[in-house]
Amino acid sequence: MVARYALIFVLGIIAILMVSPLILTVFTSLKPTTELVNPAWYPPLDVTIDHYIRVWTEGGFNRYFFNTLLISIVDAAVMIVIASMAAYALVFLKFRGKIWIQILFLIGLMIPVTAIILPLYSIIRSIGLVNTHLGVILADLALAVSVFVFMFTSYFVGIPKALHEAARIDGATEFQIYRRVVMPIAVPAVVTTALLEFLWSWNDLLLRLLLLPRDEMRTLSVGLLNFQGTMTRDVTGLSAGTIIMAVPVVVLFLFFQRHFVRGMTQGAVK
Amino acid sequence: MARVELKNLSKAYQDVEVLHDINLTIEDGEFIVFVGPSGCGKSTLLRMIAGLENITGGDLLIDGALANSLSPKQRNIAMVFQSYALYPQMTVAENMGFSLSLERKSKAEIADKVNAAAESLQLTHLLKRKPGQLSGGQRQRVAIGRAIVRAPRVFLLDEPLSNLDAALRAETRVEISELHQRMKTTMIYVTHDQVEAMTMADRIVVLNGGYIEQVGSPMDLYNNPASEFVAGFIGSPKMNFVKGRYASALGAETVGIRPEHFDLGGGENAWEGEVSLVERLGHDTVLYVRVADAGPLTVSLSGQHSQQVGDRLHLMPKPEHVHRFNTEGRPLA
Repeated sequence: MVARYALIFVLGIIAILMVSPLILTVFTSLKPTTELVNPAWYPPLDVTIDHYIRVWTEGGFNRYFFNTLLISIVDAAVMIVIASMAAYALVFLKFRGKIWIQILFLIGLMIPVTAIILPLYSIIRSIGLVNTHLGVILADLALAVSVFVFMFTSYFVGIPKALHEAARIDGATEFQIYRRVVMPIAVPAVVTTALLEFLWSWNDLLLRLLLLPRDEMRTLSVGLLNFQGTMTRDVTGLSAGTIIMAVPVVVLFLFFQRHFVRGMTQGAVK
Repeated sequence: MARVELKNLSKAYQDVEVLHDINLTIEDGEFIVFVGPSGCGKSTLLRMIAGLENITGGDLLIDGALANSLSPKQRNIAMVFQSYALYPQMTVAENMGFSLSLERKSKAEIADKVNAAAESLQLTHLLKRKPGQLSGGQRQRVAIGRAIVRAPRVFLLDEPLSNLDAALRAETRVEISELHQRMKTTMIYVTHDQVEAMTMADRIVVLNGGYIEQVGSPMDLYNNPASEFVAGFIGSPKMNFVKGRYASALGAETVGIRPEHFDLGGGENAWEGEVSLVERLGHDTVLYVRVADAGPLTVSLSGQHSQQVGDRLHLMPKPEHVHRFNTEGRPLA
């Protein structure tokens, strides 16, 4: 019983540590400027949404938000298709050179993003896609595809081979097996990929900073930097912007939490 | 319905040949069973006929046409898998109608065929359920239904009963046999259970180590085994094999005597032993008897008998039922 209370106590401390920055940010974003002299953990006495309105309109977050949403949705959707198809081929098809392709994907998992960001920038610039959303999407997909191929592969190896064979006997083509037999079973992996890729795309700063220098193309993560000058900092604007950026992701995660956890743990235990 | 011919068929994985020179003709409408121990190649052979494994050597002919490089769909065969392999996201009706929907048949036609198959297998009340909501026996019936709906030329069944409990296995065995009687379609059935083979087959193919040991009707294999292996594999309880002086006295290296082919008592040549275990099955009594120089023997007596552990017995093999084998395990004339 003591151990149980100790565990709850430790978990409580961790939970408070995790959630407190978010609460402090919410407090700051809702405080009138006059209350900023109070300590950060003071809740707002006079709640205002002026900072949200200011950030959304004057701060350009309305444009940034839809730029981010567009890139993240396309990223997630395309990633589901290409990663699942690649994993399907690796798991269910026999072809020459398969092992080398698997090794290439493994290498892709091991190389840190920062190590290849400059060559990637050069490639995107050479094909004239700097300052386009397509350029960012291509770079995002290239950087993360190994992770999601690995995730789908782990999921697909858990699907009995007999299902694939039964569908072949039933007369299905490989694409029909992929679309009608395998993918409907892989919903947890699809949801996990969609959420993770959406999240990574939504939160990424480095690639967008490099590839989207023009203001009208920017995303939320880059837009937040507008509130952080060299000498000054717009704390309320920064907080409101952070919350605007965080809310969609939190809502999505809460909505799909069950599928997400299933997808992440699939294959861990048969 | 179709005639299936295997001509010098072989299968190798890289340099390792696992099936050697298989020659077999399966007649139109025949129920043939591939039987053998684990690893003998029976499932591989079935999968080669299905088109799920490449054929390394030889020819496969279906209705006289070479089928080596045809896809499973082009061969027009249906297969029932050991693990059922039902699509978990589809209902029973969708599972059964999947192949027809791939052929772009009309919904009405699919529904008609699915309903007819479901009725013949008593699955009508389960059509809207998903496989996860069915028992093992029901799943197996759905897998059979999925095969029936396509009206294939050949049915392939890969150990379809091995995941079922004993009672359900016996029941489904009868259902499959009745199904064959009704449909008269060529069926190739793989099992490691010789009881299934004996009770269902028109002809049995016994495989061992990638070779065909013997092909014949169940009674042919039982009465005239072509090798010591077949003699030991077919029949339950297993045939007793005796070497040494008892075998020499009968002019063979090894003699095989089925458990039911002993008489109790006998004259001065009778084999004397001690009962070490008794199994009372009601219709039969099975005695395990230790006989000096012959080893442990299994003796099956028809009806109910009173022998106890420790009793001493005299056994006499029925001469007309003694199988004599040479050193290579082949029968002596």
